[in-house]
Amino acid sequence: MNPGVAQPESSAAALVQVRGLHTRIGAKTIFDGLDLDVPRGSVTAIMGPSGTGKTTLLRHLTGQLRPDTGSVRVDGEEVTKLSRRDLFALRERIGFLFQNSALLTDFSVFENIAFPLRQHAKLPEELLRDIVLTKLQAVGLRGAAQLMPSELSGGMARRVALARAIVFDPMLILYDEPFVGLDPIALNQVLRLIRTLNHTLGITSILVAHELAAIQKVADRVYLIANGKLVAQGAPDELARQDSPWTRQFFGGEADGPVPFHYPAPDYATELGFREAHR
Amino acid sequence: MNANLRRNWLLQGVVSLGECGLFFVAVAGAVPKSLRYWRELCRQVWFVGAMSLVIVMTCGLFVGMVLALQLFNTLSIFGATSELGTAVALSLFRELGPVVTALLVAGRAGTAVTAEIGLMRATDQLDAMSMMAVDPLAYVAAPRFLAGIIAMPLLACVFNAMGIFGGHLVGVTWLGLDNGTFWGNMTSTVMLQRDILDGVYKSIVFGGVVSLIAVFQGYTAPPTSEGVAYSTTRTVVFSSIVILAFDFVMTAFMT
Repeated sequence: MNPGVAQPESSAAALVQVRGLHTRIGAKTIFDGLDLDVPRGSVTAIMGPSGTGKTTLLRHLTGQLRPDTGSVRVDGEEVTKLSRRDLFALRERIGFLFQNSALLTDFSVFENIAFPLRQHAKLPEELLRDIVLTKLQAVGLRGAAQLMPSELSGGMARRVALARAIVFDPMLILYDEPFVGLDPIALNQVLRLIRTLNHTLGITSILVAHELAAIQKVADRVYLIANGKLVAQGAPDELARQDSPWTRQFFGGEADGPVPFHYPAPDYATELGFREAHR
Repeated sequence: MNANLRRNWLLQGVVSLGECGLFFVAVAGAVPKSLRYWRELCRQVWFVGAMSLVIVMTCGLFVGMVLALQLFNTLSIFGATSELGTAVALSLFRELGPVVTALLVAGRAGTAVTAEIGLMRATDQLDAMSMMAVDPLAYVAAPRFLAGIIAMPLLACVFNAMGIFGGHLVGVTWLGLDNGTFWGNMTSTVMLQRDILDGVYKSIVFGGVVSLIAVFQGYTAPPTSEGVAYSTTRTVVFSSIVILAFDFVMTAFMT
């Protein structure tokens, strides 16, 4: 299989379908014709070198950022063409876990999770309280309901953010680097939650992460993105065994390869003055 | 090189002005939707208004006192010290009340609003709201913008009242001016429409301008500690310049 021309497995059951995505930010090309599908009910990991546009891809899926060209369909709706009102309606069905949790610092843990409910659903206070406590129980933090975000550790904040992301029982959750900065215990707790949510509620999950061991435990499918394109895809184990320059470097953790160790620079000897610049 | 720098600087200024104008249109458009977040509006009025009371009252008192002291010395040259109350009140109602209050609010509340929104942006809280289908323009920007418009004239009135009290303290209690003359001349000369309401109109405009600049600077602050610090400084600098410039233009139209 030639990894340079990796194509997504087309699936009628795909919840997310990206076709011919082209994005430039400033002078930098982020996506240069990206195609991928995310099947319903799966946990899909998006991997790739830093700065390759993984977070940008999540922002395209939620309509926070519009691509230059290309199609992004989520649950059959073309995100790039949705009006603001329709986009907000779609977002009510999508949970998003931010890398730094993004809890509202003025509100307690309870109020953070109640926030989306208070904004969109006119629920009696008792019912609202029950829903919030149920979600907190699911992430193991019912006892922390009255704490403020500043009193939480990184792992706890991530779990509160996860409880907030699932408060509307979304069809899709997007995790932006959910394991960064977590100790092994907190990492395993978050990992277990992602798997449980996927298995018990059937929520489709898209995961942007670098932690290979964690991804091998949780993901059904991995997409490797580099240079604005899909360069490899498959089940985590399958991909780790694949013999292509990209997978060898990425899964083998090699410092140099298709992703060069050196940032593009003029000739070293010329810059140090040992050699005349070519005129 | 210099010409390039100058042109870039000028260009950046024009671009920022345009962005601020578009931001104003967006915030104004979000105002009707923001009224459903009336609790947040009340919280912001409390923050901008009630929390600024101490500094506004203290400054108002001292401004009134020093005004009375200076004017008493000047008026005594012309034997017109009986007009002290009028002079203090007119200076406060027409100019010092609205302008000094706006400068104080820009320094106290404006900077806090910029830093708060800037940090919300840096910690993805605004994006998180947007992802929860809550428009941050309606929930964060518009209530803070409206709070400035509501609180500023009220604070200016408090400033004026404290200033007149300070003027009375110096003129009557300390320097021995007749109490009846102080109040009588003031009340017979100061006009509601021409003097008091014109000052209130100025305050409303200053409130809108200061809070717009504060919210805009916070919203567009680069998501770094340095970026938020620069934006906070810019809020004070731009607010001060715009307040004084608008004061001149409005005074020219009102007189």
